[in-house]
Amino acid sequence: MTISVLNGGTQTTVQDAGRPGFRHLGIPRSGAADRLSFAIANHLVGNPWDAPALECALGGLHLRFDRPMVIAISGAEQWAQVNGMNAPMNRAVAVEAGDILTLSYAREGCRSYIAVAGGLEATEFMGSQSTYMPAQLGGIEGRALKAGDEVERASDTPTTTNTIPASYLPKLSNHIVLRARSGPEWELLDAHSRRYLFTTPFIATPATDRMGSRLRGDRIVTKEPLAMTSGPLLPGTLQCPPDGQPILALADGHCTGGYARGLHVIQADQWLLGQIAPGAKVSFRRAFEAEAPEILRVRNAVWSAIIPGFSF
Amino acid sequence: MNPRILNYGDHAVLVHWEVDGFDAAVSDTIHGLAARLRAKGAFTEVMPGYDSLVVSFDSGAMPLSSARRRVEDALRRVGAGDAKTQGRLIEIAVDYSGPDMSAVADHAGMSETAVITAHSARDYRVCMMGFIPGFAFLSEVDPRLAMPRHATPRAHVPAGSVGIANWQTGIYGLDSPGGWQIIGRTDSVMFDASRKQPFLVEAGDRVRFVPA
Repeated sequence: MTISVLNGGTQTTVQDAGRPGFRHLGIPRSGAADRLSFAIANHLVGNPWDAPALECALGGLHLRFDRPMVIAISGAEQWAQVNGMNAPMNRAVAVEAGDILTLSYAREGCRSYIAVAGGLEATEFMGSQSTYMPAQLGGIEGRALKAGDEVERASDTPTTTNTIPASYLPKLSNHIVLRARSGPEWELLDAHSRRYLFTTPFIATPATDRMGSRLRGDRIVTKEPLAMTSGPLLPGTLQCPPDGQPILALADGHCTGGYARGLHVIQADQWLLGQIAPGAKVSFRRAFEAEAPEILRVRNAVWSAIIPGFSF
Repeated sequence: MNPRILNYGDHAVLVHWEVDGFDAAVSDTIHGLAARLRAKGAFTEVMPGYDSLVVSFDSGAMPLSSARRRVEDALRRVGAGDAKTQGRLIEIAVDYSGPDMSAVADHAGMSETAVITAHSARDYRVCMMGFIPGFAFLSEVDPRLAMPRHATPRAHVPAGSVGIANWQTGIYGLDSPGGWQIIGRTDSVMFDASRKQPFLVEAGDRVRFVPA
């Protein structure tokens, strides 16, 4: 017994960097929805950036540590407390046997990552321990944590902790701005839709989870009704169904879809998809063809210098 | 038939063929192309569809322009024989007593026995997998059986259900919501994470239904 779950919170799962390469079998990549905050938490406790950690959506998680260990919390802004005393975010924190960690509800952003030095032990499927709930894969019995669960550390070999200067840490807010390039069916959207996609913010509805986020806002429609054959779909794609309310696909999103793929969030901004909370504003900003690789190059250069092996 | 190659954002490329319904030659090309692109190991995902193929990649390691060149190059080299040499024939036993069997028979103006005969008379190609693990999207049914999806999807369709949606037929890999017309069910387990080979079929394989 290492970590006891007293309350699973809104939805807490074990995630790592995911299982890419199997979408043609209907298996989404899954993995940490916000890859950057996840990597930060792991790096702070001295783990490889892609070690399995807890992903807690919207907060409410209560854990009891049954042994001394080192943890770090990154991602959504919330109040974390250890035995009722404020615990800092984005820093390695030593906890003692019997200590209780509580996460308040997220104020800014959606998902917090709790990394434990030594990583977590979970079921592996196709090379990853990430939880994919629709097929009960990976994690702890392929589901969200609930009270009474026990999570083991993968290793108790001491690690050397790290720090990250505060100026580098991402500032999350409940207005997520995503830079995007056109998707394959962009040209089929009507002129009004193509203009409004980049001007007014959308609101993430309560139908927002690891699979996707249904947005509410200006009607985004195709010029003519579209009878599309189902085809491949990638995370970060904005699908535009006939009802005019677009759907943004996330880490656990379906591998195929049958609606117009209007926009695709650029690779450098995909990590932000994991921080869209229900009720948050979501804006799209056009990234130009020459701009997207340059944004990625700069961000990869900065973050791979801080976190060995990491890239967006 | 020459496909169009389109950028899908900044880290994916789509190859799309303009076809009406199902086209076997295009499907052969798509699966031959998928095999070639997968063999290169340069792409994160290689996803064949009915009339399209999508590759995604790390644009930090491979610029979009060179990804497009690789796809164009593979497309030039793909031969008609590529897809024929790969893909197994999988027989799937089906109990054709699904909840929508009588509706499909009425739609087709055929007896249920004739529907069973028509549905099991041809080999289907697995054109695409998704939307859930193990869901097999198969090639076109006898045109008489082509019936649209339910207007309102069922909340629960059991794993192994065999359905029809317009000209497509398919097998549900997991219990899930779904709108297809369910004509039967197989005990073959399409997806089992604990099995050494979790997937019974893969895109490019062929499926033959055997009435149980």
